[in-house]
Amino acid sequence: MSKPWRRYSTGRFFDELITHGGSPRVAARRAVNFFKSLSADELRARRAAAELAIKEMGISFTVYTEGENIDRAWPFDMIPRVISAREWSGVSQGLAQRTRALNCFIDDIYNRQQILADGVVPAEIVLGSDNYKAQCEGVSPRFGAWAHICGSDLVRDHRGRFFVLEDNLRVPSGVSYMVENREITKRAVPELFRNYSILPVDDYPLKLYEMLVALSPRAARRPNIVVLTPGIYNSAYFEHAFLAQGMGAELVEGTDLTVGDDDCVYMCTVDGPVRVDVIYRRIDEDFMDPEAFRPESVLGVPGLMRAWRSGKVAIANAPGSGVADDKVIYAFVPDMIRYYLKEKPLLNNVPTYLCMREHDREYVLKNIGRLVVKPANESGGYGIMVGPHSSAAQHRKFSRLIEKDPRNYIAQPTLSLSTAPTYVEGKVQPRHLDLRPFILQSKNTWVTPGGLTRVALRKGSLVVNSSQGGGSKDTWIVEGKA
Amino acid sequence: MSMLSSVAERLFWMSRYLERTQDTARLIQAYNHLIMDIPKGAEPPWDIMIDILDAQPLFRARFKAGSEQNVLKFLIADDKASCGIPFAVKAARENVRTTRDVLPEEAWELVNELHLFVEAHAGNASGRRNRHDFLSEVISRCQMINGLLGASLPRDHAYGFIKLGRLVECADMTTRIMDVGAGDIMERAGRFGAIDPLLWGALLQALSAAAAYRREVGPIVEKDAALNFIFLSSTFPRSIKYFVRETRKELMRLNNHDLAIRAVERLRRRLTRLDAEHFTSGELHDYIDDFQLQLTSLDAAIQATWFSWKNV
Repeated sequence: MSKPWRRYSTGRFFDELITHGGSPRVAARRAVNFFKSLSADELRARRAAAELAIKEMGISFTVYTEGENIDRAWPFDMIPRVISAREWSGVSQGLAQRTRALNCFIDDIYNRQQILADGVVPAEIVLGSDNYKAQCEGVSPRFGAWAHICGSDLVRDHRGRFFVLEDNLRVPSGVSYMVENREITKRAVPELFRNYSILPVDDYPLKLYEMLVALSPRAARRPNIVVLTPGIYNSAYFEHAFLAQGMGAELVEGTDLTVGDDDCVYMCTVDGPVRVDVIYRRIDEDFMDPEAFRPESVLGVPGLMRAWRSGKVAIANAPGSGVADDKVIYAFVPDMIRYYLKEKPLLNNVPTYLCMREHDREYVLKNIGRLVVKPANESGGYGIMVGPHSSAAQHRKFSRLIEKDPRNYIAQPTLSLSTAPTYVEGKVQPRHLDLRPFILQSKNTWVTPGGLTRVALRKGSLVVNSSQGGGSKDTWIVEGKA
Repeated sequence: MSMLSSVAERLFWMSRYLERTQDTARLIQAYNHLIMDIPKGAEPPWDIMIDILDAQPLFRARFKAGSEQNVLKFLIADDKASCGIPFAVKAARENVRTTRDVLPEEAWELVNELHLFVEAHAGNASGRRNRHDFLSEVISRCQMINGLLGASLPRDHAYGFIKLGRLVECADMTTRIMDVGAGDIMERAGRFGAIDPLLWGALLQALSAAAAYRREVGPIVEKDAALNFIFLSSTFPRSIKYFVRETRKELMRLNNHDLAIRAVERLRRRLTRLDAEHFTSGELHDYIDDFQLQLTSLDAAIQATWFSWKNV
């Protein structure tokens, strides 16, 4: 074993590539052996090649607090995470099942509200939520699909079991990094691809395109599809451009669109107005239409909701989808699967304590030092408190927050997230990671092979969000015996 | 498929900034060559380049003396000077960043690389030793981008607006160089007669016209022929005549082109009034001044017709 791997130890965690005994897992054997065969110098050189590729490809993302500095190289780790196709197929089915149930739920909530009437989900937590948009009542999008693009976060516990941590149904991002990470890995370690059968990920824009085409209100061979971005200063602008280009669609900002008296949406082109059929929106619904939501929004398009409600334009994800993207509602997803699909949930939820329930709240307050507390309605890792990593003062602060607004907090046991070998400071060390696959749903349901693996680059850290200093890895779903 | 007005506008400006980058680099190169061949005392001042770029106020706010070092620092290393290379490259990159979806994927990589190159090396490139290599590299990277766009863009709106941007910027630069450069040589009125051919040659160099001129006119460079060549050559792609013809062609392919075509027609009529043999340096200046006014009105017509019609 060469020096960079010396003293690699999985500890009490499940490691994605290495067993507790220290040998490579079957699917990862070649990859691990390859990386172990590299000397410290060679590893450095590969890393330099990857960094050059990133710089040249211009992968960058924004963190809001960094103000004007809108370029920052995306931290990338070149050692891929490897999962066997057999194991993945089960996960993939579980994700598809989940997304179908979530869409049944949203469609039900804005129409008949059967699940509330049957008392499976308490009505007050749905109808009283900020994410419930009365403007969407009575709308029936095609195929009953509201959340067309879902980015669910998966983690593994110390035994290697997958859990769904949350379902992102509003404007989940990261898919472009999934595609680019593969590109970079190909440049940094081309030899590895020779002996592996790795499921490709670069057809994602095509799958997205097919999904969106199916939504078009007009029957046309090539409907007009646009990607609606808040603009260059948004953290995911790179991705918006990437997807628009991959689909041959227009990348538009609110000022490029107008809604006519006929309730159709038009884009302003050099030939005059051109009708838009499908909008893939990457802008928060609250900013989407100043007529319907926040009147002060300058990012949106006045009249867009009107156009959508009258069926003249399709919007993905549909406004209002966020009603199911809430950490309290999350706790009920297994019940939804049983209720709507009459199936047994294939993927586990993380056990979740709802602070609105008296019994749960008492437990949370008593055990706050051992739990992870999350606000029900935030994303991007903001406002989370990891009990074991926090001070007594923080525990007290969150206890007060919970008592003040119990509906807005949930708590979960601290999971021992899985790790994978990661090249940090000249050594290969275990770092915690999660996985965000993307699920597309309109006429059909489709799941990405793998997804975006995010890795917490700081030792011992469990926070993988790019906005919190996380990095990412290529994710391989490999077929056959490696 | 049509094109978003906002995208068309950014492509137009991306193209203008790339052309500006290249033209400025060529201008400095040509002046650099010239200065080494000319006896001391006879050379045009360094800040003639600042005059050409119409940037005296901006320049004087930063530097007192129009010395070689200052002028080159201003044009090569200062990323706030809107007529300098780093600024133009940055502006081009910002426009590509927001139009990546209509450009070939490598366009972003190449423009980004150009930006990184300039960012890394501009600081050391204003001295005489590294200047040449730096400028050559900038020029060849610009050409690479032009080559990529020329070879891989479908001949649709994207190509059209990129071409228009390049044509307009090129005409703007050509007339500026002629105005100041030719004016300077003519004002000398034979005081340093022996070096006049050198100066005219350098002028052609700055416009990348030297080789084309030799082939079409011959090896002897003198005023009338040079002026006629730059304005009226029908084959040289940086001549004004060529600009008018190609611009007209591109505009005809667009809808609602009446306003812009009228502006081009005015330019075409101006062109017939060029009288190289009899113009004094003052008359040449007035002529070019008027021409530039018409160029500005063409620019405004393009803006109003295709970029901001929604606000009209």
